[in-house]
Amino acid sequence: MHNRQSLLNRITNPKYIMVYATIGIFLIVYAFGAFMYSDKGFLTIRTFANLFIDNAYYGISAVGMTMVLITGGIDLSVGAVASLTGMFIAYGTTVLGLHPMTCILASLVMGVGLGLLMGWVIHYLNVPPFITTLTGMFFARGVCSLISRESIDIHHPFIDALAGWKIYLMKYANGQWVRIRPIAFINFNVILFVIMIIIGTFILQRTRFGRNIYAIGGNEQSASLMGLPAGRTKILVYGFNGLCSVLAGVSYALYVKSGWNLSLQGGELEVITCAVIGGTLLTGGVGSMIGTLFGVLLKSVIPALITFNGNLLSWWGKIATGLLLLLFICIQRFVVTSAGKRK
Amino acid sequence: MKVSRLMQSKVTWAIIAEALILLVCFIIRPEFFSISYQPSTGMLYGSLIDIVNRSAEITIISMGMTLVIALGGTDLSVGALVAVAGAISLKFLRWDVLTYNTPGDYTVYPYVLVIFVPLIVCALMGLFNGFLVAKGGMQPIIATLILMVCGRGVAQILTDGKQFTTGYSPFRVIGQGSFMYLPMPIIITIIVVVAVALFTRKTAFGAFVESVGVNPSASRLSGIKADTVILIVFMITGLLSGIAGLIYSSRIMSNDSNNAGLNFEMDAILAVVIGGTNMAGGKFSLAGTVVGSLIIRTIVTFVYYFGIVSEATMAFKALIIAVVIVLQSEPVREYFAKRARKKEGVSHA
Repeated sequence: MHNRQSLLNRITNPKYIMVYATIGIFLIVYAFGAFMYSDKGFLTIRTFANLFIDNAYYGISAVGMTMVLITGGIDLSVGAVASLTGMFIAYGTTVLGLHPMTCILASLVMGVGLGLLMGWVIHYLNVPPFITTLTGMFFARGVCSLISRESIDIHHPFIDALAGWKIYLMKYANGQWVRIRPIAFINFNVILFVIMIIIGTFILQRTRFGRNIYAIGGNEQSASLMGLPAGRTKILVYGFNGLCSVLAGVSYALYVKSGWNLSLQGGELEVITCAVIGGTLLTGGVGSMIGTLFGVLLKSVIPALITFNGNLLSWWGKIATGLLLLLFICIQRFVVTSAGKRK
Repeated sequence: MKVSRLMQSKVTWAIIAEALILLVCFIIRPEFFSISYQPSTGMLYGSLIDIVNRSAEITIISMGMTLVIALGGTDLSVGALVAVAGAISLKFLRWDVLTYNTPGDYTVYPYVLVIFVPLIVCALMGLFNGFLVAKGGMQPIIATLILMVCGRGVAQILTDGKQFTTGYSPFRVIGQGSFMYLPMPIIITIIVVVAVALFTRKTAFGAFVESVGVNPSASRLSGIKADTVILIVFMITGLLSGIAGLIYSSRIMSNDSNNAGLNFEMDAILAVVIGGTNMAGGKFSLAGTVVGSLIIRTIVTFVYYFGIVSEATMAFKALIIAVVIVLQSEPVREYFAKRARKKEGVSHA
């Protein structure tokens, strides 16, 4: 009895309202698409799997971004770091003839190092996160252009194998496993995305580090007065976000199989948008990985709807995303004020 | 005492940084400083003129951005508003393109509309940002994120995703004309800077902005209408983005909804912060912002002048800005101030 009540309490906890709103609106938009375009195959598992395949790189980056936003910071460098990773892989394999794993390792050192450095500057030199990571973004973009100003194709058996590897979704019919029709599959990127979401959830919900992140985002001063290691936590969060940006860059490189110095421009804001419509507050202290997962799905279902419509200019997607942001901020505002009144 | 106070001021550091960059330019190539007069266009030419000319858009926008940051916020939508202003003005110059299918020295709608409608629309969009912040109680960064995401979409839909060009000469004057030997954008910048400086420093408005930035509820209690101040500041920023948008599209005599004003919000925020205004809000320095904007443009011009790959400017920009920001950071400034104080103490003894 006691257990059930606490479960009910946990589910109806107001801090999850945003997550429910995201999931609810995603279901409404998806149902709308199903209603309008079911004849064009919107309801198939293939369409749903494509949502993951086409947006895995945003999702992977959003995992780290959610943590940064929960600490009350922001990271504008993710798009540029991901693009730089792509350049490393493309230039390393195609021009220098290195093995892709070497390039990915070098990117990891670069991305995590830059993240840790930015975290250090933010905490110890007290420079606003916005400015620090903006400088990081300029730096990474500039290095991209120093490497090459033109798009470089990636041709390497390892990359081809990784990008081409897919698991077909099967169903059991007439006593044997057959591929479902129309053919749907998930690839390495999707698995990486799901693994990162699981790791992110684990860190946030089950570790001391995760609780420190929430505490610092709630109120950094009282967190450090309570003896929580604010500096170390913040630096590690930016380092982890660097790791996520590099993995997002790897995933994007597998997706487009090339490196370009101007790729993923403005990607950082797409990622922040995903996190915000997933219920993360930019003031810090509030956010969850499940919300971010549905934020990514909700943001990616809009371009899918526009593609299915076929007549709309793709620019309506931007406007729809903006309106969605407005809607979510209004809901957040409402939830925050009503929670404030309850206190 | 005085030295330590000067050393603590961020504006001092910004001016020192600009002077150092120019000094490096002078040592490497003295002709960087040469200015010549071209009688055919009636304009002065030279790298220094070019720096001021090309920094016009960022300087104009960052005047508004300074006020927004003094309120403790940021405005991310300015770059998108630049694109919107360009799209609207070109739409009035060339609509309907099917009838007027070759660009030339004409305008389809009256020139008044070409100039004022974009400015009014941008001011209204700024007002929308201000409304979300003041009445909706949202964080400025996220309230303006909405228009940043939407704005370029609006600009594209206004022009049907097309890029118009024009040859209308009165429109060319805004970005490429000259007045008193100086390029027009410099004149417009000077007017804007002086106007904003007079408006904030000769009236109480600047003090209101600072007070709301430090503590909104306290200023409300002391009788300042915080909401009105926020609305006016965001509207000014929107209007100034519109002016920058007109200059930008007049320079290229076209609208470019994808690239017009790209990353302007970032550059403007950087200019303000380098100029010594704290991102947490409160005291602001318009002069510092002008210096900050000049620093950013000097780096870019410097890199172009010495023939380094243009896209790589960003890396140099990042390095120099990193140095400036680290020098300006609290711990470093305190260290220098302490040393200066110690020296004075020794000389007194």
